[in-house]
Amino acid sequence: MAKLVLSSGGSIVFQCFVDKERLSVGRDPTNQIVVDDSSVSREHAQIVAVGNDHIIVDLASANGTFVNGRRMLRHILQHGDVVEFGAFNLRYLNSKTATEVELDRTMLIEGIANAQLGLPTDGAALSVPRKRATRINFPTGRVHMVSGPRAGMMIELDRVVARFGKPGRCSAVLVRRPQGYFLAYVEGRRAPRVNGQSAGKEARRVNDGDVIEVADEKFQFAVAGQRRPDVGRGHLSATRD
Amino acid sequence: MLGIMARKFIEAAAATDLGNVRQYNEDSIAMDPELGVVAVADGMGGHRAGEVASAMATQIVLAGLRERFAELRSGADQHSPLLAVEESINQANLAIWGAARAHAGRLGMGTTLALALFHDNRIVIGHIGDSRVYRLRGGKLQLMTRDDSLLRDQVDARLISVADAAESHNRGLVTQALGIVEQVTAHVRQVDAMPDDIVLLCSDGLNELVEDADIELILQELGVNLPLAAQLLVQTAKDNGGYDNITAIVARVRKPFPAARGWQRRLFGWQH
Repeated sequence: MAKLVLSSGGSIVFQCFVDKERLSVGRDPTNQIVVDDSSVSREHAQIVAVGNDHIIVDLASANGTFVNGRRMLRHILQHGDVVEFGAFNLRYLNSKTATEVELDRTMLIEGIANAQLGLPTDGAALSVPRKRATRINFPTGRVHMVSGPRAGMMIELDRVVARFGKPGRCSAVLVRRPQGYFLAYVEGRRAPRVNGQSAGKEARRVNDGDVIEVADEKFQFAVAGQRRPDVGRGHLSATRD
Repeated sequence: MLGIMARKFIEAAAATDLGNVRQYNEDSIAMDPELGVVAVADGMGGHRAGEVASAMATQIVLAGLRERFAELRSGADQHSPLLAVEESINQANLAIWGAARAHAGRLGMGTTLALALFHDNRIVIGHIGDSRVYRLRGGKLQLMTRDDSLLRDQVDARLISVADAAESHNRGLVTQALGIVEQVTAHVRQVDAMPDDIVLLCSDGLNELVEDADIELILQELGVNLPLAAQLLVQTAKDNGGYDNITAIVARVRKPFPAARGWQRRLFGWQH
């Protein structure tokens, strides 16, 4: 369960579990969390629980609500967030981090009533973005087009796939994966060739300097230097020999 | 695991994978080339009950559709395809709900479902939960379903912004699933189908880990090789972390598929 800790000048003034759907914060004694500071509005902010989220909402307060130093009207609280109310700090603690929750099995909970949403239940919708950009280190490669319609061009392989050859007739893709690039046959009678040899129709890894032929396109693959994870710098490398 | 379905009008391929973290695959897939239907279900519930629920959902829905379409084609019934989908989903819901109540270890088991039925130049899309249906047309990917998920609700209710949704702890919380309650409201709609349209059905293990832009690129570049497209989608989700089971079914419209109507056959059949 999430917890809120109100402190001032380093000492804890008040703490409570977030066990209600709504908790109000303000100078007025009717609030669940009372912050006795002249710069805090009487009804300053609200903390709303929605599923596993606790959202802090600024109630048009005179001096605003600052989370980790940034003014916010609405913010999904994250473990360790500090909300400033005048000379007071309200710290949000939730041992269940987003990553842990994500690993939980999908479960069923009450939704927000459609009437409240004012939306039809059917129809197309925009995607909600995925959690975050994955922190996988992908290699960066490029190809230099030797012959064919794109001869002379340098093509950066910065997407998950890049297609070569004659689409609709004979083509293959270079697939970017964390461990390197792979050549995969897509269509056509002839399998792609690597360094003059047929590469077959199974996906195979390509190496720096490989010359690849797909239909009338011939190109050379180059690894632009693999980005390495930051492990090894700093402490680890310093303590090791 | 890979599956391939080939028909004159529609071709389809499927891939499903455990992912990198889970011990069991609770996703189920079903394809019926005769009927022109593909379905994905993502089960939930302990003691491997999720596997049971998702398998029941795909099997019962397909059986229900076969039965209703046999009636439809024989002229014995005037079911619309939309109604047939809705009824089949309700039938699956009741069966899973009943099975969950009859077995202590399966209490609370449930499943999402996403299906696409290709019929008479149209695609009937049915879904419940957070499994999705996308359509690629003219190189543009479009989401055809609205997730029954708390996160989706939060965004729609303007409780949080689309950008902030990435910070939410409510991923994977669905607001509707098959087998949990006696009555469900499945979302069923019909869209037109055009040659070269590609339809993707997936469990959240795919769309949570692969950006829409990458899904779009893979479908666009590999639409001519559906087994490779399905396999690459799943592989990309695994490469990006793969913390859930991952399932993708891709189906492509090869040519128009008008239904042979009973009355047409009766009226004009003898002339040929």
